[in-house]
Amino acid sequence: MDLMRKLAILTESAKYDAACTSSGASARQNRGDGIGSTIAAGCCHTFSADGRCVTLLKVLMSNECVYDCRYCVNRRSNEVERASFTPRELAELTLEFYRRNYIEGLFLSSGVCGSPDGTMERMIRTLELLRYDHRFYGYIHAKAIPGASPELVERMGLLADRLSVNIELPSEASLRLLAPHKTRAAILGPMAQIARTARQNRQELVRYRHTPVFAAAGQATQMIIGATPESDYQILRLAEGLYRKYALKRVFYSAYIPAVADSLLPTPDQKPPLLREHRLYQADFLLRQYHFAADEVLSAEHPHFSPYLDPKCSWALYHPQHFPVDVQTADYRTLLRVPGIGPKSARRILDARRAGSLSNADLGRMGVVLRRARYFILTRDQPTGVKLGREAIARALLDPAAFSHGAEQLSLFAPPRLEPAISGAAPTLPEAVEEVIASLPHPL
Amino acid sequence: MHIVATDREKAERVRASIPEKIGLEALTLVEDVFLSCMSDRELALLRFLRLGYRAGPVVLSMHGHPRVAPVLGAQRALLGEAHLYKGFTRFADYGGTLVGIIQPKNCVLPHLARHFALRYPNEDFLLYDKTYHLALSHRGHVLDLQPVDSLQLAPIDEREARYQALWKQFYRTIAIEGRENPRCRMTHLPKRYWAEMVEMRELF
Repeated sequence: MDLMRKLAILTESAKYDAACTSSGASARQNRGDGIGSTIAAGCCHTFSADGRCVTLLKVLMSNECVYDCRYCVNRRSNEVERASFTPRELAELTLEFYRRNYIEGLFLSSGVCGSPDGTMERMIRTLELLRYDHRFYGYIHAKAIPGASPELVERMGLLADRLSVNIELPSEASLRLLAPHKTRAAILGPMAQIARTARQNRQELVRYRHTPVFAAAGQATQMIIGATPESDYQILRLAEGLYRKYALKRVFYSAYIPAVADSLLPTPDQKPPLLREHRLYQADFLLRQYHFAADEVLSAEHPHFSPYLDPKCSWALYHPQHFPVDVQTADYRTLLRVPGIGPKSARRILDARRAGSLSNADLGRMGVVLRRARYFILTRDQPTGVKLGREAIARALLDPAAFSHGAEQLSLFAPPRLEPAISGAAPTLPEAVEEVIASLPHPL
Repeated sequence: MHIVATDREKAERVRASIPEKIGLEALTLVEDVFLSCMSDRELALLRFLRLGYRAGPVVLSMHGHPRVAPVLGAQRALLGEAHLYKGFTRFADYGGTLVGIIQPKNCVLPHLARHFALRYPNEDFLLYDKTYHLALSHRGHVLDLQPVDSLQLAPIDEREARYQALWKQFYRTIAIEGRENPRCRMTHLPKRYWAEMVEMRELF
């Protein structure tokens, strides 16, 4: 099979893997004897027709697989054309794409070809060719295969910048039902090993500068959203737990896109839960950058995201006791709680207020979204805040993205309260405002 | 219109005074704003500097000030475009030399020089800026920036054509059907970058 055909098949098979970022956390310094470098910030090389950032050559080593996971297009029992790269041709392809500045590096996963260890060996061979033969210092994100032996996971970590083990589904029950060959132990084992090895490696590096670096850009994982009945709350709590327990750098959420018809899965006519995936990413950022706890964003009583409000605005509306915030005196974390203020504008506020008191116009020029923030802050122009009706505030905070998704069901298993508002025709703005106001617990 | 003749001695004195009175960061800001495409940047810089001489280094913290915000914004636009070009620049292999062409709004080539030199320490490359008629060359580990009127390129060879075709194939295949979003793509990848990008050219 020629390279073009292989590339088409193995790119197609890998595209549902959501992770796309590169990271410059790598200590891998090109000492001038090779090709490649890593930039601190992620670098997007292009954007695909679906609007997603493309940074890496994202492919499977092989889409042959001995497992039969029900949600996967490459499952053993699915009729799909199979292909495999040789380590040599994949290493060369990566290098030539890198030379032309098409990519920052390689994102490599694989179907299970024969056995987890056999598959890992082939992937490792590709990475060795890149690092040693081609002296490649660019970014490599490699997927460890569940059930692989620790020695191979370790070898892979010394060659790659970031490692992932896909958690696949948000609960053990779902995993047992849809992917019985991938046991919880087979997934969490390597994740724990990677976390442990990375931690030890950082400590050793402090003592011995020339210690080989293990997974410099840390560990990530991915799960499929919407294929199984877990609530948003359960998923978010799981993500929080994973960040804490395995020191993950990122959790990726992939809206389930029916690639195969299956009795246990949503039917192919169900639209993919894109808004829900979007909300999860928003909530994920709240956990990682805004110092929220999962329990603040959602709860057992409110286990699902609002279709109309992003999680941060939702929190602000439901917790009026924390506002208004005085931009002149509030600390960083408190500023971050204000709708319309993010990490960059919060830092600018902290910096700028040393030079004098801040007006609304100043804040606007600093990147604060005044349209939202003004109801929640005290500034030089509004020293006693803004007194306004709930309707005006709700209108200002409504998320326009909620209306562009049309007749999407937020969740296959959403409670009945949400369904009338979002099944059938898209809600109109007045309807959405009504909905939001009706659900507010306190007078504002 | 009032025309001010350049006086090299005075200019040098002003340049030397900026790090002294306002800080090194302020000098970098001034240099960056000159490279930017901000209209009337000289006046904006003059206003900024006058404030800076009065207020001192703290002027750089006045993010909201009407004299400071515009120049900080111009610098941000320059650096932002430079960052985008780190990803969007495309090279083609012409008999061993990598050649790339960009058409930026801001004069980003000086900011790209170090980046690509670190990325390709052992490659010979040429990066041409069509807007500002500047060419960055890297040969035998030596970086050089020269004004060049125009660049004529020979047609690409078979090997290069093959890799371009492979990349286009990859690009076409990764989009998930049912999630097409041309508006989102356009927001992140404005059309003005498309002409020099192998995979986007034909979408024009």
